[in-house]
Amino acid sequence: MIVEHALLVGISKSFGLFYLIALSVAVVIYAMWPSNKKRFDDAAQSIFRDEAGPWR
Amino acid sequence: MIAQLTLIERQYAIMISAAVAVCGALMILVGRDDAMGIHGALVFLAGILTIFRIGESYFAPAPSDERLAHYYDDPSKVAIVLAMIWAVVGLAVGDWVAWQLVEPDLTFGVAWSSFGRLRPVHTTSVIFGFGGNALIATSLYVLQRTSRARLPDQVSPWFVVYGYNLFCLLAVTGYMMGITQSKEYAEPEWYTDLWLVVVWVVYFLVYLRPLARRKEPHIYVSNWYYMAFILVVAILHIVNNLAVPVSLGHAKSYSAFSGVQDAMTQWWYGHNAVAFFLTAGFLGMMYYFLPMRAGRPIFSYRMSIISFWGITFFYMWAGSHHLHYTALPQWVQTLGMTFSLMLLIPSWASAGNVLLTLNGAWDKVRDDATLRFMMVAGVFYGLTTLEGSFMAIRSVNSLSHYTDWTIGHVHAGALGWVAMITFGSIYATVPWLWKREQMYSPKLVEAHFWLALAGTVIYVFAMWNSGIVQGLMWRTYNESGTLAFSFIDTLVAMHPYYIARAVGGLLFLIGGCVGAYNIWMTIKVPSAVTDLAADVPQPAVVGSGALRAAE
Amino acid sequence: MSFFGLHYRLESKAIGLTLGIIVVASIGGLVEIAPLFTIHQTVEDAPDMRLYTPLELAGRNIYIREGCYACHSQMIRTLRDEVDRYGPYSLAVESKYDHPMLWGSKRTGPDLARVGEKYSDQWHVAHLNNPRDVVPVSVMPAYGWLLMTELRIDDLGLHLKAQRAVGVPYTEEMIANAALDAYAQSNPDSSLADGVTKRYGKATTMRAFDGRPSYLTEMDALVAYLQVLGRLTDAAHKSVAQAGAGQ
Ligand code: HEM
Ligand code: HEM
Repeated sequence: MIVEHALLVGISKSFGLFYLIALSVAVVIYAMWPSNKKRFDDAAQSIFRDEAGPWR
Repeated sequence: MIAQLTLIERQYAIMISAAVAVCGALMILVGRDDAMGIHGALVFLAGILTIFRIGESYFAPAPSDERLAHYYDDPSKVAIVLAMIWAVVGLAVGDWVAWQLVEPDLTFGVAWSSFGRLRPVHTTSVIFGFGGNALIATSLYVLQRTSRARLPDQVSPWFVVYGYNLFCLLAVTGYMMGITQSKEYAEPEWYTDLWLVVVWVVYFLVYLRPLARRKEPHIYVSNWYYMAFILVVAILHIVNNLAVPVSLGHAKSYSAFSGVQDAMTQWWYGHNAVAFFLTAGFLGMMYYFLPMRAGRPIFSYRMSIISFWGITFFYMWAGSHHLHYTALPQWVQTLGMTFSLMLLIPSWASAGNVLLTLNGAWDKVRDDATLRFMMVAGVFYGLTTLEGSFMAIRSVNSLSHYTDWTIGHVHAGALGWVAMITFGSIYATVPWLWKREQMYSPKLVEAHFWLALAGTVIYVFAMWNSGIVQGLMWRTYNESGTLAFSFIDTLVAMHPYYIARAVGGLLFLIGGCVGAYNIWMTIKVPSAVTDLAADVPQPAVVGSGALRAAE
Repeated sequence: MSFFGLHYRLESKAIGLTLGIIVVASIGGLVEIAPLFTIHQTVEDAPDMRLYTPLELAGRNIYIREGCYACHSQMIRTLRDEVDRYGPYSLAVESKYDHPMLWGSKRTGPDLARVGEKYSDQWHVAHLNNPRDVVPVSVMPAYGWLLMTELRIDDLGLHLKAQRAVGVPYTEEMIANAALDAYAQSNPDSSLADGVTKRYGKATTMRAFDGRPSYLTEMDALVAYLQVLGRLTDAAHKSVAQAGAGQ
């Protein structure tokens, strides 16, 4: 049974750091992807687009 | 309010209130030998009063379809008023307990007012009462504008607002009667917790439906943060509150977890309550109201996305920094420390975004106290997260843990970040919601700003000093190798700092009262200008209005 | 029908965001907490670990009710000054029956993890009644009403039962006798006293904690709890001795 606990801990420690790095890279790539730029710029402006009420 | 509901909605509302009243009656019945019975009476009363309130206007003419051409803002309005009431109550109790540490006999010898019972009244009133209502109000407001979609119906948002406040009321009255689970920020007992689950699920559905029907192709980033707040708080709440009640008629329950597992679960909850209640939701607020008020888009939308995912996944690991050097296995402590340090990146991305958005608009910041509230909030957010990451380092935590340094950190975040961004956003929204040109008195906004800032600075500096002095005294040895100070020596050393903190808190409280008065007068005094009928805030108009007034 | 296609796509995106948040956010907690549930495999067990008696449990509930945990920790960290000030550092096993744990996060007052039998019962009663009678500069609230409030014991059996449901090994016999055991523990001369030591062990403290054997008050319960803190097992003292021998 001792092995089982050690295994879980091992997974936590290694997976934890792997997950940290992988997700960070993924998010940075998504945010920095050139073709996404237009969408983001547009989104940042979207709150100012003045419409008098709900569209439906 | 009721006149806005259609006939069928009025009927639904009555049925729901009746169900609540029945639950209350059942609680009275099964809990008659226990404090739970009193809560039953409260629930029953809440249900009955709501029925009467609806009944009064039941036969009022049905609303015209014209209402569908506007956003549904009544629930936000009510939640803002409730937020300010909770703010005044919570800050007053906070200052009361602060004075109790100066003069302990301020309990007046009755059970309900002792420090241990009032402290959670303070934390719950400010975090859940003030913060929670402000989050609900602004989230519904922002949701509708950014999706250009109306709320799905007119009953469920009311259920969320009133149901949530019933939760807060049960929680706070419970502590004073001694009903508590003792888990910090999760003190309410099992039936109150269950009620919150129901309310929260409805809140989630109310939030999801307009998002799904939105017109904009992209979901604006504020909604991401609000969504994370709603979802993660649900997960945290359900897991951490798993418990077995003594019986259906007892308020008391026993946690499903014990010892180390409980400690880790509790601080996984506790830290993420900070992350998703006190941070994510308020970041959502900031990402909408700051650009609107400043009249310019957020400096870097990309940075806001990076910081969103960073916060969502780093925070979850960081809870164990509350348990350094305890019986928790060291590898968990180390993981917590690592992730806490990483957290600085997404945190500073947000704080930086605030300042960079304002870069080039400093004249507006100078003239507009509302915008200044938001700017100072950004600065304190940066400061608190830097401090937090620092305190998460094991050797630093060995000094800071258990001392007032933690309290200083908490209130740098709570007063400097949470309260400031909330006051800023509320001052921005109130004129938009009630179709006023500006706040009743921009001068009072200015006064509130300075009171709040002075109060925060005094509070935080007092606690930093006190905490570091305390931590150092605890670990000082004299030459013979024995501890130099008794515990009581350190307590005496704290006294002046406790007075300073209570004075700082008083300033902050006065500021809160000024704010509440100003908001109340804005609502009550009709606007001179009548053509501000548009539903969408007009930053330029409002901004210049505030400018003119400040001059 | 193109309208429906669009509607579906947008809706699925909101749901996608929802799922994304849930997945990303849950993993951290899961990965960190899951191994703790197998921790008993590595932590030394404490065969001598006793259970809280019904009276002590009632006292613990009063400790929770009054919010004592807001100012007092029950967790001595593995730091030299803490061990010198409060005693051997706390072990995981020591709180294994604590539902919930009361480790605390703030020390406005001193740590209480090993306060058991450090002071006399009379000291505790006087201190709780008005802390400033014994410690003039204390900022602790006075809990005068505890001495005057009768302890509710009729439902203690239900309490033990709920405790058993979350994993504390109370026996049927303990549950059946809970109320009487609570009464007997603070009334050591009564005929029921033997039952308490039989069920909860010889080391159980049997005293009229508030000085009045015939009344069972909330003060009795709270003092009984305070006096058992750190004394449910010797494991902590042993582990320090071992560490010392190893050096
Ligand atoms: C008038 C302003 C305030 C005063 C005077 C005040 C005072 C206090 C005091 C005396 C404590 C207990 C500290 C201790 O146990 O030593 C406390 C705790 C706390 N307060 Fe405040 N408070 C104020 C505003 C706020 C606000 C606005 C928030 C949140 C939005 C807040 C959140 C908290 C939290 C989370 C704790 C618990 C800290 C911990 O357990 O580490 N407070 N406050
Ligand atoms: C990068 C961000 C942050 C990190 C790494 C961090 C880290 C920490 C650490 C190490 C502690 C001390 C734990 C202890 O010794 O008991 C703490 C306590 C606390 N922090 Fe932060 N913090 C951060 C941001 C914030 C923010 C923005 C707030 C907003 C209000 C906040 C509110 C709190 C509260 C309420 C506590 C007290 C918990 C308790 O003991 O009851 N933190 N934080």
